[in-house]
Amino acid sequence: MTVATLEVNGIAKSFNGHTVLHDIDLSLQPGTTTAVVGASGCGKTTLLRLIAGFESPDAGTISIDGRQVASPQRAVAPHRRGVGYVAQDGALFPHLTVGQNIAYGLRGTARDEVRARVAELLETVALDPSYAARRPHELSGGQQQRVALARALARHPVLMLLDEPFSALDTGLRASTRKAVAGLLATAGVTTLLVTHDQEEALSIADQVAVMRDGRFTQVGTPQQVYRQPTDRFTAEFLGDCISLPCTVASGIAECALGRVPVQAADGPATLVLRPEQLVATVVSDSEHLDGVGTVIATEFLGHDVLLTIDPAGEAAPLIVRQHSFNPPPIDAKVRIEVVGAGIVLT
Amino acid sequence: MVAPPVGRADDQTQSHPTAPVSRPDRAARPGPLVSAAVAIVVAATLIPLGYVAWAAVSIGWTKAYHLVVRPRVGELLFNTVALVVITVPLCVVIGVGVAWLVERTDLAGRAFWRPLFVAPLAVPAFVNSYAWVGVIPSLHGLWAGVVVSTLSYFPFMYLPVAATLRRLDPAIEESARALGSNSAGVFFRVVLPQLRLAILGGGLLIGVHLLAEYGAFAMVRFDTFTVAIFQQFQVTFDGAAGSMLAGVLVLLCLALLVAEALARGRARFSRVGSGAPRAATPIRLGRNVITGQVALAALAVLALGVPVWTLLRWLWIGGADVWVFDDIVTALGQTIGLATVAAVLTTVLAFPVAWVAVRSSGLLARAVEGANYVTSSLPGIVTALALVTVTIHLAPPLYQSITLIVFAYVLLFMPRALVNVRAGLAQVPPSLEEASRSLGSSPAATFLRVTLRLTAPATAAGASLVFVAVATELTATLLLAPTGTSTLSMRFWSLSSELDYAAAAPYALVLVVLAVPVTLVLFRQSTKVAAL
Amino acid sequence: MRRGWSRIAALVSVLAVVLGATACSGSEDKNELLIYNAQHESLTKEWIDAFTKETGIKVSYRQGGDTELGNQLIAEGEASPADVFLTENSPAMAAVERAGLFADLNADTIGQVPAQYRPASGKWTGVAARTTVFVYNKAKLQPDQLPKSLLDLEQPKWKGRWGAPPAKADFQAIVAALLQLKGDAATAQWLAGMKANAAIYNDNIATLKAVNAGEVDGGVIYHYYWFRDQAKTKEMSGNTALYYFRNQDPGAFVSLSGGGVLKSSRKADKAQQFLKFITGKAGQEVLEKGDSFEYPVASGVPANPALAPLADLQAPALDPSTLDAQKVTDLMTKAGLL
Repeated sequence: MTVATLEVNGIAKSFNGHTVLHDIDLSLQPGTTTAVVGASGCGKTTLLRLIAGFESPDAGTISIDGRQVASPQRAVAPHRRGVGYVAQDGALFPHLTVGQNIAYGLRGTARDEVRARVAELLETVALDPSYAARRPHELSGGQQQRVALARALARHPVLMLLDEPFSALDTGLRASTRKAVAGLLATAGVTTLLVTHDQEEALSIADQVAVMRDGRFTQVGTPQQVYRQPTDRFTAEFLGDCISLPCTVASGIAECALGRVPVQAADGPATLVLRPEQLVATVVSDSEHLDGVGTVIATEFLGHDVLLTIDPAGEAAPLIVRQHSFNPPPIDAKVRIEVVGAGIVLT
Repeated sequence: MVAPPVGRADDQTQSHPTAPVSRPDRAARPGPLVSAAVAIVVAATLIPLGYVAWAAVSIGWTKAYHLVVRPRVGELLFNTVALVVITVPLCVVIGVGVAWLVERTDLAGRAFWRPLFVAPLAVPAFVNSYAWVGVIPSLHGLWAGVVVSTLSYFPFMYLPVAATLRRLDPAIEESARALGSNSAGVFFRVVLPQLRLAILGGGLLIGVHLLAEYGAFAMVRFDTFTVAIFQQFQVTFDGAAGSMLAGVLVLLCLALLVAEALARGRARFSRVGSGAPRAATPIRLGRNVITGQVALAALAVLALGVPVWTLLRWLWIGGADVWVFDDIVTALGQTIGLATVAAVLTTVLAFPVAWVAVRSSGLLARAVEGANYVTSSLPGIVTALALVTVTIHLAPPLYQSITLIVFAYVLLFMPRALVNVRAGLAQVPPSLEEASRSLGSSPAATFLRVTLRLTAPATAAGASLVFVAVATELTATLLLAPTGTSTLSMRFWSLSSELDYAAAAPYALVLVVLAVPVTLVLFRQSTKVAAL
Repeated sequence: MRRGWSRIAALVSVLAVVLGATACSGSEDKNELLIYNAQHESLTKEWIDAFTKETGIKVSYRQGGDTELGNQLIAEGEASPADVFLTENSPAMAAVERAGLFADLNADTIGQVPAQYRPASGKWTGVAARTTVFVYNKAKLQPDQLPKSLLDLEQPKWKGRWGAPPAKADFQAIVAALLQLKGDAATAQWLAGMKANAAIYNDNIATLKAVNAGEVDGGVIYHYYWFRDQAKTKEMSGNTALYYFRNQDPGAFVSLSGGGVLKSSRKADKAQQFLKFITGKAGQEVLEKGDSFEYPVASGVPANPALAPLADLQAPALDPSTLDAQKVTDLMTKAGLL
């Protein structure tokens, strides 16, 4: 078994009497990307800063590559941890050029080597080498972010820490930059920990997702695990839309207004949680039996998806169903909703 | 069921201005070197304060009471307080107005106006008041004091405000405009609040100087509390009574500090984001250009024209004979020497104090910073006598040596350096220093490679202010400088007190002229801040 | 980074050089006499040049004001590096004398100065003198309208028509003379009159300027400011003339500039030589021939021809050591002038 690149054990941190992190455990395998996702103020940036060394923990330990770097008694200074840190707004040095920024950590290296490395890094982050002579304020937000990335990568760190790296970008740019960065980090084989409040971002690029709430992890697992099998309500709702229906469970089948859905739960009354993409709405002609049939009362066109608000028969609340936007059911159409896949029962 | 926010719907901003720190205060503990330096500086400031306290104690309660509680003292105190209360807001209006005109509009000749408005600081106070009484002989009383003070001290406000205006992120103002504010609305609701720290810092500096001011009002028949202090020295020739009265000034200074701290509130520094903002588009003045130019010209005439005209008149009367080059060159050399050394030392020592003030929180940090201002509110003679007493009894070899006088200058002018270095340090967001440390630079290397470079323009401004202050300083130099020292200021005073104004004029003129390259350096450096 | 260090090193060496250079300029020769000089610099320089020429003894001096140097000497006490103290007015000398810091002057120095121009204690001596005068604006006052005595100025008819600098030590010397000559009651009464009638100025120069500008009709100052301005730019006295009170009136008070030897001096004999020189013929002739316009007091040297002779001024006879500065302050404070 390989040594985990990052091992966080029982970390706790308070500021001014207010506890920000309670008993955090996290383990990062070499070469993987982990995303810590949570709402603003939940403590995820604090965790990052503890790992980088800008704060020391009140309890617990942090080890990088098997070497303990932080504990309440002693902490290794940030400049000795070999960790790359990319702040939320890039934090490029305004008084240096882009090239000088990237070369900042390369003290003591020969001039031509530095130049070659800078060019190489600029290429890695998909920026033209001519950018090396420019000043940070001449670059756009996305470009600044990429330079910050290159700067952190210059020293071949064992661990990369990214603080909300894509939040400053506009939506269109965000997706492509995200893909590119994930790709280059994977190619470089660098273990990465990134924090974000964007669940889509976390799910798309991470090998491991840790959902944080009020200073605690509610669940840690692969993207599929945390999305499809959330262990609690908060995690489920945070990572995506949920549809909750009251149901009765009997022998692994939940009986609800939409029909019978397989679940893994104990018998008895419970709440069934489904994802919008598990519901498929098909148009029916009025004459067919009206069991499990609802009326479309609103549609929202999202480009390649459409969100249908469907009023199910009975007093149940309207449901939102997401499906492809090709030939969507019009308003007032009668549709039958089918459930695909297993449901989740949460207490 | 509502989807959680997908992410901030940001526009494509290059840097988003950060709001005041929302996460809990990250108080950094200063290292041993910084703490030692700060301890030395604080111990130094305690010498004059200790002297004042000793004087108060040795005088005794009853005598002190009788000295302080007199109708005349009440009148003088009222004058001092009224002077501060009226002059500081006036300086705010003038300083901010000039700064705005020169930095934010498309007024022609801005590059010329900019360095000019710092020169009033270099005009000796005596020349100012003499010149004004020459122009308006009946000028006297509170309004005379206000006029002379405002015209002499508004550069203290103008400088930090202009520097801050350059650094502001125009994106905020553009957002405000998009929300429907007109120019006036943008200025008062968006720009002015961001200038708060600069205005408060400048106001504090002006207030503290006004408390200690003595020579400026000599000719305009306006007596402030310092007159009462000086009188005690004149009459009793025993430092105790005068120094005890100076304790009242200390109390006034504390009041000023409290007022500034309250007005500053919790925002201890203004962040402008670690990205570099674009330069703002100059506002078109259109028809108002004439008004703007006239206003600036009028201010220049009043603040500089009147005293310089007096100097030129004296020089004209004196002819070529008054230019005794040997003496002038010697005086110039000594002035430059002393002023340079003092400026560098003061600025270097201001760093640890400013560091503690900006990066730490809590009462100790405030106390450390405040102690420096209090010493500055004492008249020069009190500080000088304090140093005489302490040095001659505790460290006789140091008495009347270069070391002592430079030390005195550091004590007297630390606030000028402090205000600027503080503003510069506040400009360096901690995230830049953290980035540097994460890239392998030790704290010391980070300081040298990042912090020091980024605060260089502000530091230069502070050093220049101290330079001008030392060049024009008189009382402490008279008492503490090595025998045989002869600065421009001392020569001017000696000749003018003999009524030989024509012979004195060259020295004053050289002083003012000396200040010009210094202010140009000041501005060249301050301009570099905009490039950040 | 290497560049940064070399820059710092350069700065430090520049600092060291400048420090060294300026330090050299301030070093004293162990054999030089040190004067704390509150008298006008040009006058003392003339004295020093003449003294060094005659005796070969080098002299250095520290220029300051009466108040500053007086306070400094008292604060320094026994450890003072000064050998000689020269002042512009007598209160500072009296204060230093009271602090016990003066040595007795040699008999031959004292012998050169008439008794009315030095204190009886022999601890210091007058070296020059200035007389009180009433300067008036020629357009505003005719010679027959001038006050006969200083005391006239307390009368209601002089309300708002004269000015003086009560805060200056030299004016307080005039009040001290008034106190000695006329007593407490008359002085208090006169001060009350002054408070009601007089415009308050910061110093003699400001008073002179104001009279010249016509702001007030007249003012009480010392003579030599007028004469010096007349000899230079005339910008402060062009419209004015002088009036001497005479008749041993308090307004004819002659104030002394003093000179004394510090007890703590380690070159006492050289210091005594200096005092003897400046009160001797050669020293006093500097006052006669120079442009200081102060009165010589010793060795029978006559005044500058431009001045009215001292003897003609009929000054009141007073011991300068006995002027009660504290009482004067109390009275003036009570009257609300201080």
